[in-house]
Amino acid sequence: MSNQRQASSASQTPHLSPAELSYLYTSLSLPKSPIRPDGRSPTQFRPLTAESNILPGTNGSARIGFADGTQAIVGVKAEVEKTVLSTDTLASGEGGESTAATSGHGSWVQMSIEIPGFRDDDALPVFLSEMMRESLVGAVVEGGDGGGDVMMAGGLKGRLVINKRWHWRLYIDVLLLSQPLSYPLPLLSLTTHLALLSTKLPKLKSQGEEDPFFDDDWEVAEYLYPRGSKLKATSGLASQYVRPPVTLLVVSVGENVIFDPSREEIAVADAVLAISVTRDTEAGNLKLLSIRTIDPPSRLTQPAVPNSENVNMLGATAPTEDIAVLNPATGEEEVPGVWRPRRGGVKRSVIANMIKTVLKKGGVGEEVLEGLEGVEVE
Amino acid sequence: MATSIPSLAIPGQRLGSANTYAAGPGTHVQQANIFASIAGPVILDPAQPNTQSKATLRVSRVLSAAAQSSPTTASAKSKPRYNTLPAVDSIVLARVTRVQKRQAAVSILVVLDETSAPDADLAKASSDNDNIASILTSAANPENHSSTDELRFQAIIRKEDVRAVEKDRVVMEDMFRVGDIVRGCVLSLGDQTSYYLTTARNDLGVVMARSETGNMIIPLPIASMASGQYALPSDWLEHEDALGSSELHADSSRAATAVALAPNILSVV
Amino acid sequence: MNDRRRVNGPPGGTRPPVYASLLQSGTGADIRAQRQRQPTDLRKIFLKTGLIPSASGSSYLEFEPSASLAAARSNPKSLIPPSSALKLACTVHGPKPLPRSAPFSPNLVLTTHVKYAPFAARKRKGHVRDSSERDLGVHLETALRGAIIAERWPKSGLDITVTILEAEDDRWWGDVPDSHDASWGMMNVLAGCISAASAAIADAHIDCLDLVSGGVAALVSDDSTDSSSALPKLMLDTDPAEHRSIVSACVVAYMPARDEITELWLKGDSSKVSTADGDERSGHEALIDGAVDAARGAHTVLAEAVRESLQKALGQS
Repeated sequence: MSNQRQASSASQTPHLSPAELSYLYTSLSLPKSPIRPDGRSPTQFRPLTAESNILPGTNGSARIGFADGTQAIVGVKAEVEKTVLSTDTLASGEGGESTAATSGHGSWVQMSIEIPGFRDDDALPVFLSEMMRESLVGAVVEGGDGGGDVMMAGGLKGRLVINKRWHWRLYIDVLLLSQPLSYPLPLLSLTTHLALLSTKLPKLKSQGEEDPFFDDDWEVAEYLYPRGSKLKATSGLASQYVRPPVTLLVVSVGENVIFDPSREEIAVADAVLAISVTRDTEAGNLKLLSIRTIDPPSRLTQPAVPNSENVNMLGATAPTEDIAVLNPATGEEEVPGVWRPRRGGVKRSVIANMIKTVLKKGGVGEEVLEGLEGVEVE
Repeated sequence: MATSIPSLAIPGQRLGSANTYAAGPGTHVQQANIFASIAGPVILDPAQPNTQSKATLRVSRVLSAAAQSSPTTASAKSKPRYNTLPAVDSIVLARVTRVQKRQAAVSILVVLDETSAPDADLAKASSDNDNIASILTSAANPENHSSTDELRFQAIIRKEDVRAVEKDRVVMEDMFRVGDIVRGCVLSLGDQTSYYLTTARNDLGVVMARSETGNMIIPLPIASMASGQYALPSDWLEHEDALGSSELHADSSRAATAVALAPNILSVV
Repeated sequence: MNDRRRVNGPPGGTRPPVYASLLQSGTGADIRAQRQRQPTDLRKIFLKTGLIPSASGSSYLEFEPSASLAAARSNPKSLIPPSSALKLACTVHGPKPLPRSAPFSPNLVLTTHVKYAPFAARKRKGHVRDSSERDLGVHLETALRGAIIAERWPKSGLDITVTILEAEDDRWWGDVPDSHDASWGMMNVLAGCISAASAAIADAHIDCLDLVSGGVAALVSDDSTDSSSALPKLMLDTDPAEHRSIVSACVVAYMPARDEITELWLKGDSSKVSTADGDERSGHEALIDGAVDAARGAHTVLAEAVRESLQKALGQS
């Protein structure tokens, strides 16, 4: 049992027959125009409902529900904590450079993911939370020259610094409400993004190196991620503001790149990548924060038997029907229509193509970020 | 042509074109080329003269020089083996772990290589477990019984598969006792946990056992074993440590499954 | 229940004292480790297979200590070594039967465990695997699963255990964890795990497509002068202790025979990079290509080690 859980992707494998797998693969790998089981275009996301600020007891929260019934709730809580002054910080403080004042520490952001049916030390929740946390704390903004972004210098970690001796500690708790029907990464990432966008921290009343005390008026609390007025946001200046990263799940099937794959689509994918992007405040386009490969479940599937090797079909078919052809995507010889579990890795060109599709201007990444921004404005 | 084939291969090394050769065990085909998938000596099995098949390239798991130099005649008639796991028709040595009314549970100790004929010297039979003698002695020792079963493949001998004749009159308790070493043949890969074994052949059955008092039972006389005859019930004797006041084994019917095997197996105990 | 009758030491472990003046003084610059290799030079790797007789396959891997560490060992100036060098052991157990509760699998079921020895890093690690170790285990599993030919071993499992005896640092020990900090050392550890596990699998005679090897490349901004115009440079096989600031890093598991990547882990901001003239690659492409180059280097060591142990085994019999 634990053996199966160990495999991050194995638990997601639906029980599809080799014939079904082969059919899915063939229709998804049609050059230029893949046919997805639910009729979406390759870059189209599944319909979802989203709302934010649903939990009054948190600093920020969000809920997203996919049409298939899976829902995730994220609550963000912030606590004031004393910064442990190490010898290192002391040393740099004496040097006159107040580096510690602007740079925070990655461990100040804590993330936990709860998925029903998984223990919280199982591989999948650990892998998911590490993946989302690393892009979150990794997003660093150079300087403070992006209009009104002085607060976000040093990224999220820098934002958590109150003064030299105090900082915020951020707890991001992700709750999946039902057993995941597909790889839960896109759902969790979108919900986390939305919750962080809605997160507010109380306004600081103390100054400088004083022990911090805060305005208890929640109305004047400041957003964790500073934001412009509605007017600005709609007029396209929203790109000026730092935004939390979003992690997209991208699969490649044959020559096609497909976004937000369903469980059946992941099951036949040649490669699965989780790509985290955020908006580059200087250039105004998207920038890459992290990539991780995810073990494609297609490696664990059951192979099909071609007619030529099937004892039951002996003599029933002409031998010419089973001619192995070279699959250009995998380099393996395959009989068309006969499923073979994938083996081997991905070519560099495929990876480059997947990244390009995410990052390109007006591409899927921007579309998703804009869509999430829209939820907040209303 | 043959000169371009390397003598030793490591995984991922290109061995030859798939148009010229057929890919055998230890290799895989990628983009019409044959690559090695394990590290080992490369062996070229010549094509069958009367067929149109190509010569087979394979990488051997066996590292001993003796096994390589002798041309493997058996490989032509048997299916190619891609792994060292028990497969259908492999001959295995197994130790009885549990005896029930309808079946006996055994754990497989050694998968004997098919390429070595049954009458060949068993010590040369090669598998990943290189030293059969030491495995057998340690397995027969009651002190080692519990520790390593988790690491061994489990198998079941059903009541119907114990012997070829008088199947309905088999009494499992009389056939096997926990700790006996059984030579069996794999019938099928079975369910998710166990393989299925049979002992219903002349060369299969219990090959090593202890009596109820814990003494080693040895088949007698030696001459009958060496000539490959069956051991008769009275041939199973309890071997006393000291001067050996030999007595007849209590369960004479157990010997129905007993088989005389190559003497070098028994000589190790 | 605390023991109140005696005076206990601090619960969190201790570190030798470092005086701020030591870091600030003129000698401070000397004790900081500096990269003395060319950007494309890799550290030497020691790799040997078959050292653990009870396992069906095993390997031991060690990275060459950096020049500053070697110097500090022969002529210590401080109690604290300036950097560390990776040392790890990998064992492969199996193929063995799946546990009774596991469902039938037509393929080899791979299980990977990565564990730091408690003394492996500067800060003590507990005996229970923490999240970073589990994370490494998943990465390693992804890297290896693409390389093995799983359908040749039905109904059986393979356990791969990596014990890290000495881990790489995430940064120079005297540095403030600044805004660029992340667990960069983990990526080097992963690359080592991949190469070592690959050798151990070959030692266990499990079918695989190729010897998959791990490589690391990083974008480094090393200029102490705070000129913002200086773009990060691409370096292969980076020892994080030797650099002031690593902007982004990438580790790949790569199979040279097929020119395929089975595992890719990239993190950090790779949007800016100083490339040679005419090099049109974007930052992340240069980073991935760099990591692949590093993996190719590791592969030559890997192939040599596997071949060597094969020849030794043949010679003995």
